[in-house]
Formats: sequence, structure tokens, C-alpha cells
Amino acid sequence: MIIQICVGSSCHLKGSEKIVGLIQDAIAVNHLENQITLTGQFCSGNCNRVGVTIQVDDDVYTGVTPEGFREFFQEKVLKKIN
Amino acid sequence: MNDLCTDIGYKSINHYGEQLCGDHVEIVEQDDSAIVVLADGLGSGVKASILSTLTSKIISTMMAEGLPIEECVATIAATLPVCSERGVAYSTFTIIHIIENTTAEIIQYDNPHVILIRDNENYDYSKTEMNIDGKKIFKSVIKLRENDIFIAMSDGCPHAGIGIAYNFGWKREDIIEFMEALAPAGYTAKTLSTILVDECWKLYGGEPGDDATACVIRVRKRVPMNLLFGPPANRDDCNRMMALFFSKGGKHIICGGTTSSIAAKYLGKQIRASLSFETPDVPPTAEIDGVDLVTEGVITVNKVLEYARDHLGEDRCYDEWSVRRDGASMICRLLFEEATDINFYVGRAVNPAHQNPDLPINFNIKMNLVRELSECLKQMGKHIKVSYF
Repeated sequence: MIIQICVGSSCHLKGSEKIVGLIQDAIAVNHLENQITLTGQFCSGNCNRVGVTIQVDDDVYTGVTPEGFREFFQEKVLKKIN
Repeated sequence: MNDLCTDIGYKSINHYGEQLCGDHVEIVEQDDSAIVVLADGLGSGVKASILSTLTSKIISTMMAEGLPIEECVATIAATLPVCSERGVAYSTFTIIHIIENTTAEIIQYDNPHVILIRDNENYDYSKTEMNIDGKKIFKSVIKLRENDIFIAMSDGCPHAGIGIAYNFGWKREDIIEFMEALAPAGYTAKTLSTILVDECWKLYGGEPGDDATACVIRVRKRVPMNLLFGPPANRDDCNRMMALFFSKGGKHIICGGTTSSIAAKYLGKQIRASLSFETPDVPPTAEIDGVDLVTEGVITVNKVLEYARDHLGEDRCYDEWSVRRDGASMICRLLFEEATDINFYVGRAVNPAHQNPDLPINFNIKMNLVRELSECLKQMGKHIKVSYF
């Protein structure tokens, strides 16, 4: 699975750095290092006023926030992998 | 025109307790020529400041108008009053006239003699003594070579540390040795003058007994640099903009997410965005084969502008951008240190994603960034060309 996190201007201001930290922790906790490739992505044109854009394989999710991160990871990453 | 150019920088420190500096450096640049005048008014404080400012302004203005150097010297020599008690002129001066980036003409009156470091060693150039209105003035004409470093000083530099660190001050030979060691490192003129004057400050124990100024002229090869910032206003211009940008010699920097996608598409390459946040307030960089540096746009460039303003003023952030690996610091090193000629390719497209009142990004900010940054770079002595698309 490839997870791309947008680090463009808007997403940077919406906390990409924090999200990258959270996702790295979540991968470590769930021992998914061998199944997930984490990469950055430049602006994909999905900027919004809510949160960060994350692409999981071919699915694009916008507006991910640190608060909503747990749910996002549970629903969109863990469920897909298992 | 040859492929040499000059990098000029200077720094002064004031006599302890004085608000004004009695030394003054005046630089007039014209195409491939430059006139640099370092004047040291006798004494310190306001009188010295006025005298040195007048002296350097008069000389540089006259020379910029094309008057022969002898006439400028004669005018200034006749104008400057000689102190009735001490029998000396009120302001000493050093003139370095760079002609078409091939020759340096040096005129020296009572300042410590200009140091020339060539091939990392002191180069003893010949001087002709002239007598103009009873004043002993030395003239030299030197063919420029790449990596030549000219160091002009006021006597506050060799006097540094008198009675504190040294009995007779920091001798010219010692300054030569100190600067010879720095020559191979490739520091900019501004940095070299800062290091020299900071050393004087230390030797004076933080309480300089005289104004001290160092002005450095470094002869270097021209290094062109190209920076692409923003997509063109009209989509149809993408290919034209990319073709012009990539056809230029020198390194290529791309700032902006959308802009780098356009460039990657033009080159038929992938963008690999990094996830390492080197500095918290600067977004990560990316890589595209064939491009020397790819960064995010407005936030990064805004940081570069902050560093540029600091570099021209107090120069407190040098320790940050000279070593850090974030996008802004890397742009700073390429633009402030490496480049001599910078071509900006600026796209005027309005990013629909940024038309959001919550984001501190908008079109005007982008245009202002380019304008202000190119102004700062001009002050650093860079040759700037901005093309809009």
C-alpha cells in the first residue's frame, strides 16, 4: 500500500508535518513497515480549509486533521490492509 | 565582456560609545565597472562621520561621471582641510576602481594599504607614489584574476587590540595571515568582511578604541542561476515558459507545487516529494531529475525573503541558512552565495486552491515576494532579470 501525504503550501499550513508524525507512529505501533510505503506529494490541487490531503493507493481523502487522524487510519488504512 | 565579475561587501564597527561610524564606504556600480571608496574621517563620532561621508560621496560621484582619477583626487585633496595642529588631512581614503571586470585601479591615501590575496597567498603589487597638492598618494593598476580578494581597511583594523591583546595592535602581516587562511573557503565578500571585523571586535575586547571597517572585493566567475516560480497565467504558455527556463545555462530551481508538476510533465519525469521536515516552518523539498532544487512555493520563498533582509542588515541568521537542509536555506545558499546572475521566471496564474480567505496566501503576496526578493538580491550585487508569463 502506498500512502502519499500532501506537503504543498496549503496542507503544510494545515499540519502535514503533524500528520506525517502521527502516521509514522501508527505504522510503527501496528508493525506495518513492510506493507506501507509512505511518501510525500506536492500540491495535488485539493486544497481546502479543513485539513491535509492524503492519497491511499488510488483513493484521495481530503481534510484529514490531527483530531480525526485515528478514525481515518482505522477506516481507510487498517480496514483496507486486513 | 569577460566571464568575471566582482562581489563587494563591507562591515563597520563604531568607536566604543559612539552612535555614528567615522568610516564610510560608498559603492557605485555601472555595468561591468564599480567604484568603491572607503573613507576614514579623523577622530570619531559625528565630525568624522560627516567628513568620511563627504569624501567618499564626492570621489565616487565624480568618478562615476567619468572624470579621471587624478582629477577626483586633486579635487578632494584640495577640498579636505588639513588640521592646523597635526598637519594631517581630516579624511583618509582608499579607492578601488574596477574597470570592465578586467582591471583594478587602486588609489590609496593614508589608509592601511589594500591587501591583495591571489591564489590564496598575499600578492605584493607595485605602487607608484604620486604627489598631489602635497599629499602622498599611491596608485596601482592590477589585472584582475579569478579568485583575487582585495581587502581595504580603515586603520581601526590594524589598531585592534593595542594594549589589550597585542602591544602594537593587530599588524597588517597578521591580518594577511588570518585572511590567507580564509581565502580557499569560498566565503562571500560580505562574510569575509564580517569575519575580519568581528575578529577586530574581539581583539578590542568588545570596546573598540576606533571605528573599524573592512571592505572586501572578490573576483569570481559569473554563475547564472534560474528560478521558476508559479504557473503561467495562460495555460497555453506552459511549454514556452518551460522551454525558455530549461534552455538557460546554470542551475535550475523550481518553487511551487503546481509549477513543479508542469515542469515534471514537460521533462517527462516523476516528482518525488520528501517527507523530512528539516525546519518546522519550511515545507519539505522534492526531486525531479534534471532540476537542481524543487521546493514548495510561497511559504518557502517568504522565508528566503526574511533571510535576505536579515543578511543585508544584522546578518544574525547566517548560522541557520548556511547549514540547514530545508528548501529555504538551500535556495539562500544558491542565490546569496553561489549565483552572480539570477533569472526569475514568474508565472502570474492565480491558484484557485489559494483563493481561500483562511489561507495566508494570495496572488498579491506572490507578486510582492518576487519584487522584494529581487530588490534584496540587487542590493547584494546580483544581476537580476525577471520575466513574467
